Amino acid sequence: MEVKSRMRRTASVAMVALMGLGLVACSAGGSDTPLDPDEVSGEISLLTPIFEGSPGQDLLEDELLPKFYEEYPNVKVNVDYTTYGNLNEKLTTAVVSGLVPDVMLMGVGWVEGFASKNVLADLGELGLSESSLKEKYTDAIVDAGTWDGKVYAVPIMLDTRFGVARMDILKEAGYDSPPSSWEELIEIAEATTVRSSSGKLERAGFDMLSLDARQAFETMLFSAGGDIFNDDDTEPTFNGPEGVAALGLMSDLINKYKVEDIGFTSTDDIVNPLINGRAAMGIAHNNLWSQTLAADPTVIDNLEPFLIQGEAPGMFFGGTLATVAKNSKSPQAARALLEFLSSPEAALAANEQRGNVPALTELLDSDYVQSNRFVQFAMENLDVAKREGGPAKWLEVRGDVAPAVQSALLGQSTPEKALDDLAGLVQSAIDR
Amino acid sequence: MTTTDRHPVQSDSAPPTGMSVKKLPKRAGHISIAEKRRRRAGWLMITPSVIHVGLWTAIPVLATFYLSFTDYNIFDAPNWIWLDNYIEMFQDPVFVQSIWNTIWYTFWTVPVAMAVAVVVAVLLNQGLKMQKFYRTAFFVPQVTATVAIAMVWLWIFNPQYGLLNAALESIGLPGQAWLVDPTWALPSVILVGAWQGIGIKMLIYIAALQNIDESLYEAASLDGASSIRKFFSITVPMLKPATFFVFIISIIGAFQVFDQIYVLTDGGPANATTMMTYEVYRSAFQEFRMGMAAAQSVVLFAFLLFVTLISRRATKEED
Repeated sequence: MEVKSRMRRTASVAMVALMGLGLVACSAGGSDTPLDPDEVSGEISLLTPIFEGSPGQDLLEDELLPKFYEEYPNVKVNVDYTTYGNLNEKLTTAVVSGLVPDVMLMGVGWVEGFASKNVLADLGELGLSESSLKEKYTDAIVDAGTWDGKVYAVPIMLDTRFGVARMDILKEAGYDSPPSSWEELIEIAEATTVRSSSGKLERAGFDMLSLDARQAFETMLFSAGGDIFNDDDTEPTFNGPEGVAALGLMSDLINKYKVEDIGFTSTDDIVNPLINGRAAMGIAHNNLWSQTLAADPTVIDNLEPFLIQGEAPGMFFGGTLATVAKNSKSPQAARALLEFLSSPEAALAANEQRGNVPALTELLDSDYVQSNRFVQFAMENLDVAKREGGPAKWLEVRGDVAPAVQSALLGQSTPEKALDDLAGLVQSAIDR
Repeated sequence: MTTTDRHPVQSDSAPPTGMSVKKLPKRAGHISIAEKRRRRAGWLMITPSVIHVGLWTAIPVLATFYLSFTDYNIFDAPNWIWLDNYIEMFQDPVFVQSIWNTIWYTFWTVPVAMAVAVVVAVLLNQGLKMQKFYRTAFFVPQVTATVAIAMVWLWIFNPQYGLLNAALESIGLPGQAWLVDPTWALPSVILVGAWQGIGIKMLIYIAALQNIDESLYEAASLDGASSIRKFFSITVPMLKPATFFVFIISIIGAFQVFDQIYVLTDGGPANATTMMTYEVYRSAFQEFRMGMAAAQSVVLFAFLLFVTLISRRATKEED
């Protein structure tokens, strides 16, 4: 099965490679300044929180980098693998020691902080333009890599969160389609929740706890029509009426409607509750599709993605972007690697390996996207998706969001107070 | 090691045999060549250690104190902000909670683990069958990576398929969401900490037990003392130096708890299990506020210094 998947991936990589070559040729005529491979040289370092683990490492070192070396024979890449959990430590020690990797892959919401501190190179100065990026990506995705009107990062992949329903369970309860409003969501969740005679929860009607509390809240906030910050990212707005309503709904689902109990699922669970039927609906990551194919393909047809519809359709996107260090000694070589990693060929392979959503709009038609319903759904709805981040201080405060959300879900605090306290903390960080 | 102090090497200007060295009047400012050589050799021998301590301990400690009064954030040069970090820290409810959590964690893990360790050490010092196996079994958690241990405990504490809830349910008691319920999260972490700390304490106690003179027990037996009386009247008092040592290293270890929090709870739920070290980590590596992290480290250091001094004074007074 793994061999088949590898063959399929290699085939799609080859196919997209041809497509990519054509596009590279086309883009050379655009506003980006093309690189001359013969004149690009140097030894550069790459820090990556993706491509981790054996499969990722094999993909990068055995399939992708050899192709890069074919194009740029005078460039050598030293790879430093990490995870998103350890990326902060890696970057911190790198900055303190003055050994910032030439190319760094980082998440949505990270770029602003490092760009504002002059750690990242303005890609415009290296020959990449915002207008050319906006021809390939949706505006919101390009915005995730910009700061103060300049481009600092190019997207590679997206991680999205949206609603997923187990249609077999919903149909048993008499519902033909996923909820199209919060009211319906509550009604269906209550109808599909199952408890034993002793009151022990056996199936959650709507699962929010197997996802990071911050991202679950943000998805619901977007669904309420809210935003995390105001337009110029100077003030938090997540504690407005929309945020209070979103966190209130989450709290009510647990404490009032009893459709899930604290501890019923967690982010440490090996199998997502939507796969083994322990939840009828929930907020899920797009790679649930790949997880289901690996764990229990028989339920794949029962999984239905949906936008959590409140005042607005709610979908969250994060992702991985490629950046270049401002002090790179080989900026052109670094740019070459950045362009390679974000090219259709490499990006598609990386996305397929992780079950993620390609950032490049053109990849919507690729076999991988067309064969993965969740990824396809995510790409088709990117226009309504919102991201976290905005202010340069986001990285400093994002760790405070989950405890605030948890305090409301646990009934320790009202949603309003939890969000107001958090907003005060965030505002003081922004003002600092 | 102290031979040279008791038998000083005679210098070139040593008095004739028969005269006491101590009674010789000192010649101010005069150091013999041999003495100079001896001192030079001494300095030479301790130089690597001095360099090591200076580079890796003294300078970082001094830098930590200095940075604690700055707003250093790794990206910009540090600015002197006097006590701002300390004021903010003690106004931050999460850091204050982390102090109480750390004290609570220490309060339970140290005495509980010490009491269990003494009992286990005494039992394993009786010449039981498979004694070595039991000693190894108790010590294994100490030498196992905390991350691996935490993964096992994650499974034990799992509310749905964990061992603990299965055991409780088998006797008719309701299971709990151990690590995600704020009521149970800290006690669960304390349980893991106490369990993991038993091994090293037991080892030290066993070493101390083996140094207790057997004749004390024989004399007590002749006087008709019971085993319990012998334990409290001989074993416990004779273990006092070891107990002080174990107490201090246990407190320091407990105050520095980090990895099991990092893996088990990430400080949650709702900061219920966050500790001082975890807040230092968050300030430094999640918020990039190295100045604040340095100030929090200084407070942690002050706590440890205070507890150590109090313990030392208490022990001295008893002596």
